[in-house]
Amino acid sequence: MVDAARQPLIEVKTYTEVEKVEGFVGNFKVTLREKSKYVRADRCNGCGDCAKVCPVEIPNYFEMNLAPRKAIYIPMSQSVPLIYTVDLDACIHCYKCVEACGALQAIDFSMQDKIVEEDIGAIVVATGFSHFDPTPMEEYGYNRYPNVITAIEMERLNNSAGPTSGRLIRPSDGKVPQKLAFINCVGSRDKRFNPGCSNFCCMYSIKNAVLLKQMNPNVDISIYYIDIRTPSKGYEEFYDRARSMGIHFIQGRPAMITEDPQTHNLFIQSEDIALGRVVEHEYDMVMLNQAAIPQPDQEKMSSVLNVARSPGGWYMEYHPKLRPLDSPTDGIFFAGACQGPKDIPASVAQGSAAASRASRVLHSDSWQIEPTVAVVWSDRCVSAQGKPCGICERSCPYGAIDYQQGRAAEVITAKCHGCGGCVAECPHDAITQLHYTDAQILAQIRTLLAEEPHKKILAFRCHWCSYGGADLAGTSHFEYTSNERGLKVMCSARMDTDFIYEAYRLGAGAVLYSGCHPQDCHYITGQVVGAKRAKRLETIFERMKMTPGRFRVEWISAAEGDKYAHVLNEMQATLDAMPEEELLAEIDRLRPEMEKRLGRLGTIPGVGPALDYTQGIIEAMLSKEVAVK
Amino acid sequence: MNNTTFAEEVKALPGGESLEMCYSCGTCTSQCMVQLKQEPEYNPRRLLRLVMMEMRAEAYTNPTTWLCSACDLCYPACPQQIHISSVITAVKQIASQNGIKTPLATSVVNQQTCVACGLCVEVCPYDAISLQVIKVPYRGAVPVAVVESSLCMACGLCGAACRSNSIGIPEEYSDLDVIEDIWSWLRPEGASL
Repeated sequence: MVDAARQPLIEVKTYTEVEKVEGFVGNFKVTLREKSKYVRADRCNGCGDCAKVCPVEIPNYFEMNLAPRKAIYIPMSQSVPLIYTVDLDACIHCYKCVEACGALQAIDFSMQDKIVEEDIGAIVVATGFSHFDPTPMEEYGYNRYPNVITAIEMERLNNSAGPTSGRLIRPSDGKVPQKLAFINCVGSRDKRFNPGCSNFCCMYSIKNAVLLKQMNPNVDISIYYIDIRTPSKGYEEFYDRARSMGIHFIQGRPAMITEDPQTHNLFIQSEDIALGRVVEHEYDMVMLNQAAIPQPDQEKMSSVLNVARSPGGWYMEYHPKLRPLDSPTDGIFFAGACQGPKDIPASVAQGSAAASRASRVLHSDSWQIEPTVAVVWSDRCVSAQGKPCGICERSCPYGAIDYQQGRAAEVITAKCHGCGGCVAECPHDAITQLHYTDAQILAQIRTLLAEEPHKKILAFRCHWCSYGGADLAGTSHFEYTSNERGLKVMCSARMDTDFIYEAYRLGAGAVLYSGCHPQDCHYITGQVVGAKRAKRLETIFERMKMTPGRFRVEWISAAEGDKYAHVLNEMQATLDAMPEEELLAEIDRLRPEMEKRLGRLGTIPGVGPALDYTQGIIEAMLSKEVAVK
Repeated sequence: MNNTTFAEEVKALPGGESLEMCYSCGTCTSQCMVQLKQEPEYNPRRLLRLVMMEMRAEAYTNPTTWLCSACDLCYPACPQQIHISSVITAVKQIASQNGIKTPLATSVVNQQTCVACGLCVEVCPYDAISLQVIKVPYRGAVPVAVVESSLCMACGLCGAACRSNSIGIPEEYSDLDVIEDIWSWLRPEGASL
């Protein structure tokens, strides 16, 4: 950290909050609130005379509230930059610090927060994680029994710069404990609190146990665990070393800790799975390995940065395997535990990788994006004629559309990720998506439904999830109906109502509308746009008295090949259950309704010629002689 | 014989759905009062395991199946939120359907003295007692209390509530035995009734 601060090309801004992020990759405009420290950075030399005279003492957050700090303080002894800060909430305005500072005149109570705007090329988010507070787990008595502490509190006690200068003592009587226990998975792997595994606690508790054992070989240490997870290089060897040092590993999650009120010794009651019986052991002190949880303000930051969060609250990466440190927004990268709990080696690796990803942005004059961006036909946009609309702007998950009444909406190409939500939502067909134009998709629908359309099931799949699901169904050899005809768009947000109407007008037997689960969407909220439209379509078809099951909406992830096959087989069963003449009669009955809703289709640029061209292909396809040639 | 597995049968019953979520942490067992005070062999974790591993015979005769009092001390402690007492009840129900009788000494009715007042029906926490008209020797067809032994948990509440000493758990928990116990506590010098 000191090196980073000395490097002339790195500017470190501490005590600064990101308030707003605007713009796009390479051209972010970031608004920062530089909070006032009430100490002038250019004058403070970090001598600490002010803190010595300050009469206020409040709990020190960095020392896990085990030690006091003054109202004028540095957060920790290695703080960079070494400049004191006045905690105005605690300050009693006695101004003794001002006197102590003397001629330096570094303390200035008239300072104000400063709002600055910076031009930023790329952003690396490395906000880390927070700890689960075990107080709600009453069975472990944290905050009730003085000798039940968290592992982080133990680390402060064991740290030579910590409140006890490195002497691990019992909070109840200050004695050195001889019998210690660690409990793993406190609040993690627990559906009542955090269902996920916190990744590093197994190694973390082994590390702490080895450290304590090295300092005092006579100390008796037990680790209670559900499963020990030591999956990386050298980890298992470290586990072996801990066992050979005589650390006891007890498989069994403790149900309860009780305390002897006289001695404040603790009794842990758990099942010892290896023994197959319930055991109770007495300890001097118990350390809880709490779950890693997202930072409390991660939700707020996710809306500032416009990046989505995965279930559990961590920031969501672009792709869990292939782009694990890119955010869905170009130019914003994740490093470390803000993206999910991870240990130090993984965090360091991700930090280096994120820095190099970011430097790719900084060293490029141009930036390649997916070519599937949206484009507005300004002559068709009603806003250009002065009418109020803005539907496209509201449907865009990236804020990539610049809409002002009175002129045609504009797509900021660098921000557009190509979900196609605006294209499908535009009621005037004034937007198109390159490579997924209406003309192209309609031509595909026509071709897929050229022969015996009433026997076909037309499946709209999104690129990231349900297409992957269909792919998995195929590679896994899950059998499903051969009457399925699939069609890919980038996101369920692109699945235009016109496409569905056109499919039924052409006489499709059934239509599947499928995409990602809402939390998996690769376009932040693209699925929500698609789902809303699907709901509307369902109501419309219900009102038309279409046989239930002929239009189906399903959210299928790339891992759910079995679900994809199952859904299609169910749809086939629905069609099989209908007598053919009844189905054909229903298609004929609904055709005028569909035609009524498709009135504008021919006016969309490119659709007419594309359909004429398609007609030629279909004719050639259906006539066997030509097909052979 | 149908082809469903033991686990599927248990999962089909209410509360049994999350059976396979168990990752054997042992919290339930170390929390359990039955295990602590009465039966060291009692182990809900192991019963869940027996169900998952299709070990029917062992599960039916395991004391865990029959001794759970559904106090639900384990449910709020389970990190996987499995409603363990419901799983045990499901196993018990399947065992009863397969003709397995509870090994507990359940409540017995003295049909000669029962007046069918219904007090025991009201107090039974397990809905194990009902009033039925049956043929009783020397009395003819009269309503009397009937105990469903697969539901009875031998808590003894019915015996305490009965005004005519017509229902209760035989052997070591009969009224006479309990009174004798109390006397021995009050007069430790070997006094008896």
